[in-house]
Amino acid sequence: MNKIIRAAIAGNPNSGKTTIFNAITGAHQKVGNYAGVTVDKKEGRRLYKGYEFIIYDLPGTYSLTAYSVDEMIARDFIIEGKPDVIIDVLDSTNIERNLYLCLQFQELGVPVVAALNIIDQAEKMGIRIDEKALSSVLGISFLKTAGASGKGIDELLDAAIAVVERKEKLQRCVSYGPELEREITAVGALLERDPAFSSAYSPRWTAIKLIEKDAHAYQLIENHPLSAGIKLIAGESIRRIENHFGRDAEIAVSEQRYGYIHGAVTEAVRREIDVRTATERADSILLNRYLGLPVFVFILWAVFQATFKLGEYPVSWLEIFFSRLSAFASGVVPAGLPRSLVVDGIIAGVGGVFSFVPLVIILFLCISILEDTGYMARTAFIMDRFLHIFGLHGQSFMPMMLGFGCSVAAVMAARTLKSSRDRIITILIIPFMSCGAKLPVYVLLAGAFFYHNPGNAVLAVYLTGVVLAVFSSLIFRRILFRGEATPFVMELPPYRIPTIRGIAWHVWDKLWQYFKRAGTVILLASILIWTITSFPKPAHNGGDTARIRAKTEQALEYSIAGRIGKFMEPVIKPLGFDWKIGVAAVTGFAAKEITVSTLGILYKAEAGENGENESLRRALRDDPAFNPLVAFVFMLFILIIPPCFATLAVIRSEIGWKWLFFSLAYTGALAWLICFAVYQAGIFVV
Amino acid sequence: MTIADLGDGDNFRVKRVSLPKEIGKRLVDMGFTGGAEGYVVRSALLGDPLQIKIRGYDISIRKSEAAGIEVAHIGHRYRRRRGMRMFRKGTDE
Repeated sequence: MNKIIRAAIAGNPNSGKTTIFNAITGAHQKVGNYAGVTVDKKEGRRLYKGYEFIIYDLPGTYSLTAYSVDEMIARDFIIEGKPDVIIDVLDSTNIERNLYLCLQFQELGVPVVAALNIIDQAEKMGIRIDEKALSSVLGISFLKTAGASGKGIDELLDAAIAVVERKEKLQRCVSYGPELEREITAVGALLERDPAFSSAYSPRWTAIKLIEKDAHAYQLIENHPLSAGIKLIAGESIRRIENHFGRDAEIAVSEQRYGYIHGAVTEAVRREIDVRTATERADSILLNRYLGLPVFVFILWAVFQATFKLGEYPVSWLEIFFSRLSAFASGVVPAGLPRSLVVDGIIAGVGGVFSFVPLVIILFLCISILEDTGYMARTAFIMDRFLHIFGLHGQSFMPMMLGFGCSVAAVMAARTLKSSRDRIITILIIPFMSCGAKLPVYVLLAGAFFYHNPGNAVLAVYLTGVVLAVFSSLIFRRILFRGEATPFVMELPPYRIPTIRGIAWHVWDKLWQYFKRAGTVILLASILIWTITSFPKPAHNGGDTARIRAKTEQALEYSIAGRIGKFMEPVIKPLGFDWKIGVAAVTGFAAKEITVSTLGILYKAEAGENGENESLRRALRDDPAFNPLVAFVFMLFILIIPPCFATLAVIRSEIGWKWLFFSLAYTGALAWLICFAVYQAGIFVV
Repeated sequence: MTIADLGDGDNFRVKRVSLPKEIGKRLVDMGFTGGAEGYVVRSALLGDPLQIKIRGYDISIRKSEAAGIEVAHIGHRYRRRRGMRMFRKGTDE
């Protein structure tokens, strides 16, 4: 029987935790989700020298005082999950700030081994680290590693085993200087009085966190029998510290900790030369005040072209494949209802799911490359000033632009936003960035009613969408998320060459999430749409049956969808719409371009069976219910109403039911109000 | 004097961070402690946000946050631009 060691890989963001995790566990890993949040929970296993390591890859964090969801998860896992050992991954090119977290782990009383990662790059930069000296000064084993090449991994595991087996009490901790130490000891002594508490949480660490006014630490001591007294003593300590240092206690603690680190680094780390790094050279162009924006716009353009132009080919192959498949199924499945279900319901539905797959792959390939190289953080730097005006974060820009392509991809891309407030606002406004699938609807209507200048009409709709997005963001920030804007404190990590493995992993991960979350919903939704457009069938009353069956538009009128349209008519009448427009909009939930084919079904028979869009255009023009005003209001309606099922499904999986319902209500109400206003104003003017 | 008063390439030494709790603590956690030295690398297109080098790494902060970091100005990083500094506003410290 192997002895099990539970090891948590922790460290600052961008320190290469995941490369270390991959180097240790190889292919033996699985990904889950932390309860209630969309942060990946990665777990892997490794047999090594008779030990079975269970490795957890935690989200990156700068400090044990948590600010973001990611950091809260990392903190809670370490404090409550009590791993046997923490493998702290440090970026050797940035050792002081990385040690800041490392020493907080040491204070927790959990055994720590530290990986001086990315050591190859640090050495190239002329940073010489004496890991033996560092180990003896700080009382933690430091080992040099390079996760990408697998260097130093075995030594790291050996050290982890040694630390776990020795189970030694910590020899050393950060020394905060006499004034702070006196207060820490006083508060710690009270905490120690409850053996149950002090065996669960290190009294010294808790005392420090209380002095740092950490809200989480105050929650922890609620269960302590002496909690009232502790709060009193801690409050007095804080007052004395603030008097002595002339600054807030939490800042005094951090400064002393950094001071201690600075001392250790002075002893063990030498900077031989001050070279201008490759990152600095690259930034002088990529972040250049004047070149930065054009370069970014170009990269964005390239991502778009790659995704939506290059993606067209595999998408069209898939469409051919699925049309062959439905032809084949039509030959095999008996005619009537079963064939209709298989061909129009299931194959059309699954085809709809698959048709996005090439786009998702290419898009996330591009995004992963931008993220793993470190460029993504820089896009936020470039764009923040512009987006901040509208209460958005610089990093909202990329997902919003992607919204012009596909809302599903855009909502998923919003994960790069670390603050949940920014993420929610960004996701809520993405549907207003008019997606690619809405374009065929605009083209049809603009071509039919604005044939002198269809481009301007379409442009007007797109611009309306952008205005609504910006306007909504301002409203959400004011009403739903009051209080100060999220601070924009963001590391600009050094540029790194992404590993193929890392990129492949990201893409696979996104694809899998897409299938798991959106795929099933889209399939169900397609079957639902099929059902409401197929049932009930018109009654068999005598010789008329054949004729009625032949006329699909009458069957559609008779179906649930048609009845919904009819039922909706009083509601949409003030917008200038009749029931047919209602039906077309409802079927658009499966995918927005389906609105066009529904209009086709509803109008084709009236227009005769020849030609595709031109006949439909003529039919629309001939319908007295339609005129340019109605067509424009309809375009606005398609722009603003809730997005397709696939988007709704990812909105739910990213930010939950509550926000999904909010999004539905908001977009639905806004669509009605704006279309009402425009139509009524239009009638008045005309 | 705060970081917001500095220009590209200006070196500084942090005196203290005077910002509301959460954000102040965050900046200190990120290394803006008394005595830490760094310099302003550049600002974005409209002068905001700023890219700062501190403790050997790059961080981006908005000007509103930079205005809460009190510093001493300790010279300029790029020697060859010294001549230009006659035209810059303000004086050292």
